[in-house]
Amino acid sequence: MRNWHKQAFRQAPWRVEMRSAGGTMLGLTALLIIGGMYLTVSSKVAQAGRQLMTLEVRRQELLQGNADLHANLAELTTPERLLERARSLGFKPAGPNEIEYIEVEGYAPQPAFVAPRPLGSLEPGSTGLSPAFTETLGAWLSRLFGGDGDRQ
Amino acid sequence: MNEVASPVARIRLVILGMALVAGGMVVQLIRVQFGPYAPVFKDLGSSAVGRPERIVPDRGLIYDRNGKLLAANATMYFLEVELRQLTPESSQAIPQAISTLLSLDPKGIQAQLSRDYAAEGQLRIRLTRPDSDGKTWPISIDEPTAGVIKGFMGTDTGLDLSGLSLVPVPKRIYPTGSLLGHVLGIVNQEGKGFFGIEGFYDEWLSGKPITIERPLIPPEARLQPDPPAGVNLVLSIDVNVQQMVETALENEIQTSQAESGQVIVMDPRTGEIWAMASYPTLDPEEYEPWLQKEQAKEAVISPAASGQYEPGSTFKVVVMAGALDAGVVEPDDVYIDTGEIEVGGNVIRNWDGNAWGPQTMAGCMQHSLNVCLAYVGSQKLGAGLFYGYMNAFGIGQLTGTDLAGEVQGSLRTPRNADWTESDLGTNSFGQGVSVTPVQLLAAVGAVANRGVMVQPHLVREVVGPQGVYWPKTTVLGKPITPETAEVLTEMLAQSLEDETSYASVPGYRLAGKTGTAQIPGDYGYDPKLTIASFIGWGPIPDPQFVVYVRIDKPQNSPWGSVVAAPVFQEVVQRLVVMMNIPPDPVRMELAGGG
Repeated sequence: MRNWHKQAFRQAPWRVEMRSAGGTMLGLTALLIIGGMYLTVSSKVAQAGRQLMTLEVRRQELLQGNADLHANLAELTTPERLLERARSLGFKPAGPNEIEYIEVEGYAPQPAFVAPRPLGSLEPGSTGLSPAFTETLGAWLSRLFGGDGDRQ
Repeated sequence: MNEVASPVARIRLVILGMALVAGGMVVQLIRVQFGPYAPVFKDLGSSAVGRPERIVPDRGLIYDRNGKLLAANATMYFLEVELRQLTPESSQAIPQAISTLLSLDPKGIQAQLSRDYAAEGQLRIRLTRPDSDGKTWPISIDEPTAGVIKGFMGTDTGLDLSGLSLVPVPKRIYPTGSLLGHVLGIVNQEGKGFFGIEGFYDEWLSGKPITIERPLIPPEARLQPDPPAGVNLVLSIDVNVQQMVETALENEIQTSQAESGQVIVMDPRTGEIWAMASYPTLDPEEYEPWLQKEQAKEAVISPAASGQYEPGSTFKVVVMAGALDAGVVEPDDVYIDTGEIEVGGNVIRNWDGNAWGPQTMAGCMQHSLNVCLAYVGSQKLGAGLFYGYMNAFGIGQLTGTDLAGEVQGSLRTPRNADWTESDLGTNSFGQGVSVTPVQLLAAVGAVANRGVMVQPHLVREVVGPQGVYWPKTTVLGKPITPETAEVLTEMLAQSLEDETSYASVPGYRLAGKTGTAQIPGDYGYDPKLTIASFIGWGPIPDPQFVVYVRIDKPQNSPWGSVVAAPVFQEVVQRLVVMMNIPPDPVRMELAGGG
């Protein structure tokens, strides 16, 4: 068997070259594929990272803008301003004798004001992550073949 | 003929060269990793990946009981100049632009830019402005002004502002201005709270700053965690009631040309404070002048909890409550007032110096007779019972109210070495004893609340990361029985009805007591100046509010009945509307199911 190989290579030396060239090409192709994949993943990571950085800055700006708007709104509705406005419209504070009290069946007083929870303490939503990071292989396969498109 | 080196020798030479290079690299690697400069290289390496950054969470917000924002956060900007980036054009343009925008002297800014900072080793400066006293303060600008400057910096306007940068810093703002300033307290530029609510709840409000590694290159970017946020607080204050009360107080201060004053409205059933006004008002965003005052800062910034004073006749409510509760006097017991009484060698006289003749205990309270109360305190109660009741009413003790810097007042008792019997006589009508307004409010609140003394407080809701927490009413004690409280309330309600009182409100049965206290000084009591006060509650028989009024050093009249009682009346007239309290006949009809 071994002799048969030797004879074949002796009769057609290009076979050896072909084998070497083929091996090299295979190695190069594998290298290229791996390199390409690595580049793609790296660029995606960099792109996502850049987007994340931009979004974080944007989020901070929006939070600050929102806080400023709340403060502005509070400034515009101070009791002093509202009183001034009411007076300019011809209203005056009611005295005890100017109020008529009536009994209303089933009246429920307004519930007490509850302040919003502090922003930093809000739990981030789980929907922000791609399913690729959260679902198992089995779940992915069943979704792929089972046609379960309603995954939350 | 040249001898050609053999291939083997040449190969060895190349290998030797490569080995030397490799060896050099290994040596350098070891030096970088473990040599004396290893920390420097480590820092260089890590600085290329990211930089540590301290993230401070937003300070918690403060709301009134109806959700009106009282304290919020905004951004202000400091103007800084990176000196190495200055150009000849920008050195001219920056002072010109800033002085035009902020109405400042351009020469002052020009002078700051032209100083030789390089000699001082400074590369970046923060621009400052002088105040009226010549002191310099960093120039701080608000968001809209910063927007204008950013517009100049970012667009092609032909204005060279190279080197100028806007450094954002968080700023505490108070949308309601000076309304509630004494209650809220202040927050300094470092974000630390002092006085009032800001001081008392500083740790809760400020959250916990964290330090993160902020990546500089995108592939290393990660979702950064938010630092544990400070809690949001909801106060028991109603800004509309607060506004009304502050207006009433300010009007009276101006009418009586008084120096200062306070009004506090509390629900005696829960201890919730609905309004707490102090004059002169304090704008928490402009607090520097208050810190330069000569008096104790707590006393002027948080007078309700830190400003102790001799209460005068309003204190008689507490003394009479003790006497009635101990059973040593009855409302109809008669005392013959001769116009003076000696206790411990000290002669005590009435406020008018007159003898009022036979008086019932109700009459003693109605006419605010010092002699009668000194008799009750010294001869009917005695030191043991008297100071026992003072202790039960929390006199000389902290109430634990949620305002920073509360003081406990002062009350000498027989346990103190410097106590004398004459103290018992003077204490009985509110002299020689110091209380804070919240202390007196808590003590008198017990009479209004059927003998149950609750802790005055301002926070009714705490909203944190874990959820919402409603502080419960804290009962400080039951110094008197419900029956005693009812009897005393009836006595004081009767006295308001019998007298042509400035404090009565048609349609509502109220109880209360005036006070005119002398002001102690280094050389005895001031002969002219007084503290005029009034404390009252209602509507009887189910009191829903206690209103405390104090006017310091009024000029038009020294008497509490003339100066403070009308403020009580004005406040209550509006308060019953704002708190939705129908007049007595309507309430009785509703209670009777009619």
